[in-house]
Amino acid sequence: MSPKTGRRILLPALAALLAIGFLLSMISGPVKTSPAALLEFLLGHDQNFKTIFWELRMPRALLAFLVGSSLSLAGAILQGYFQNPMADPFVVGVSSGASLGAVLCLVLGLNVSLAGFSSQSLFAFLTGYGIVLLVYALSLKKGFFKVETLLLTGVAAGALASSLTSFLLFLRADSYEQAVFWLLGSFQLASWKQAGAVAPYFLVCLVLSQWLAKDMNLLSLGDETAQSLGCPVRRVRKIFLATATLLAAVSVSVSGVIGFVGLVVPHWIRIMIGPDHRYLFPYSALTGGIFLVFCDLIARTLLPATELPIGIITAAVGAPFFIFLLHRRG
Amino acid sequence: MRPGRLVTAALLLALMPAVCGAQRKPEMVLDDLGNSFPFSVPPRRIISLAPNITEILFSLGLDETIAGVTRFCDYPAEALSKEKIGGLVDPNLEKIQALHPDLVIAFRGNPLRTLARLKELRIPVFILQEGMRVEEVFQTIEKIGLVTGVPQRAAELIFSLKAGFGRTREALRNAAPSPRVFISLHGSGLWTCGRESFLNDLLEKAGAANIAGGVSRNWLLMGRESFIQQDPEAIIILAKSFADFEKGRKWFLSEPSFRKVAAVRNGRIFHLDENAASRFGPRLLQTLDRLARLLHPEVIVEQP
Repeated sequence: MSPKTGRRILLPALAALLAIGFLLSMISGPVKTSPAALLEFLLGHDQNFKTIFWELRMPRALLAFLVGSSLSLAGAILQGYFQNPMADPFVVGVSSGASLGAVLCLVLGLNVSLAGFSSQSLFAFLTGYGIVLLVYALSLKKGFFKVETLLLTGVAAGALASSLTSFLLFLRADSYEQAVFWLLGSFQLASWKQAGAVAPYFLVCLVLSQWLAKDMNLLSLGDETAQSLGCPVRRVRKIFLATATLLAAVSVSVSGVIGFVGLVVPHWIRIMIGPDHRYLFPYSALTGGIFLVFCDLIARTLLPATELPIGIITAAVGAPFFIFLLHRRG
Repeated sequence: MRPGRLVTAALLLALMPAVCGAQRKPEMVLDDLGNSFPFSVPPRRIISLAPNITEILFSLGLDETIAGVTRFCDYPAEALSKEKIGGLVDPNLEKIQALHPDLVIAFRGNPLRTLARLKELRIPVFILQEGMRVEEVFQTIEKIGLVTGVPQRAAELIFSLKAGFGRTREALRNAAPSPRVFISLHGSGLWTCGRESFLNDLLEKAGAANIAGGVSRNWLLMGRESFIQQDPEAIIILAKSFADFEKGRKWFLSEPSFRKVAAVRNGRIFHLDENAASRFGPRLLQTLDRLARLLHPEVIVEQP
């Protein structure tokens, strides 16, 4: 399948899936609501389920979409950045850093909010971003750094942040159950406020990555070649790292650590439409969003009495499909 | 300012309380986070987010007004037939919303972020904390009585609970010195509670010395060496069923390193109903009574 036909098939399929995903998200949940009830609500005839449709399910589906898109885009950027298929938001330490911040806030019992983000979200964002800056600074030698050094420092810093998180949880066992939910990710508390807080970051990062997608294509030829072809390598690299970190930190700060999306979705897309980043970025974002909408649907409807952390679903659904695609390609 | 005006102003100030009182402001009750709630109109659809809250609501005779409970609320048996809204750490927003509650009563352990989200949905949430001392349960009951509009019933319940506590204290007056006690929270393993748990206070009131009472934590995993060194004279195992208790008892008896521990040697290992003991509610009185009987058989504790 050529990249072009791949894209031709993929786009309508994704559009259809997106519509189906949102529709299913709206009509399913622990409270029984029929498609007819949704229609009644949309036509303005029925106010019974207004809060459930409008204040719970809609922002939740939207937030799942935005976070899925952000994580996939971050993954696509980092895989291109490191020229490494294993790269995702976890490797630069941003996920572990962000969850450390969230748990720190939980343990300290802080409670303030700013611009739609709760104190836990703010802490998550700051520590997520902070740890990447730290990793970056530690990897620099006389103003230069090797990509491998950055990758390995990131893994080490991530492990350090995880161990600090576990230590905090051990000290303050009271918040353990809450923290576990946070660490495995959930959209339980999604609100318009959160969706509204995430959306602008996502849009800015999407535009930025799209704008620099050609330069990312050049980077895959090697930094020296890219430089000689007129790509300002150092500046482009800096912008991409900042973009991916921002995307991942914002995502983790509202929904906890959701693994696998950022790793696997860009690979699906690469297998289907090829490695051109001009298409890889937007298609990854769209697919990642749809993927999380469906995963969240499963997470909140699979068991009757309770909700599953979404991290369990992303891996359980994503991994087999990923292996299937790899085999077909091989 | 002329003296005449000053007098007028003073008079006005003096009259202020009388004037305001005449307007009959709605009376307020504070939850444990300091948020004030009016209690002029009793709520008609209450959702409880914790088993102890459910127990208190039932003890106050509010059976009819309870609209929803958690899946852990199993006492009294009537609670089982109430609508379930999820768990303690994962109450389901959608289910709560669908029940149209006019009051949600939350407890320590419910995530504050979830409660904040409920408030955003314009649902009143009354939040209570767990005390470190048993007596604080009286305040919890009093506050619930006020906010649900049954302060008189709450006062009666508190009165009878206090009387029970008094009887136990009286009976223990001539008891033998407090035995060293280890309280096991998980059957097997050395999970226990420290000074910051009301269970520690309960033990003290039952005439026992908690061997982990010096640790300023709510709960902790004790090391085997300190356990052996402290040499508890009795072991209390919190268990949901007798079968679970038996498992725990066998574990303590079969651990080779525990063979010399007094409680194991003398077979003084006792069962305490986990639900009654671990919930910050009216059944703490029964728990206290049972504990005192187990640990001080030399003095007879009257049944309340």
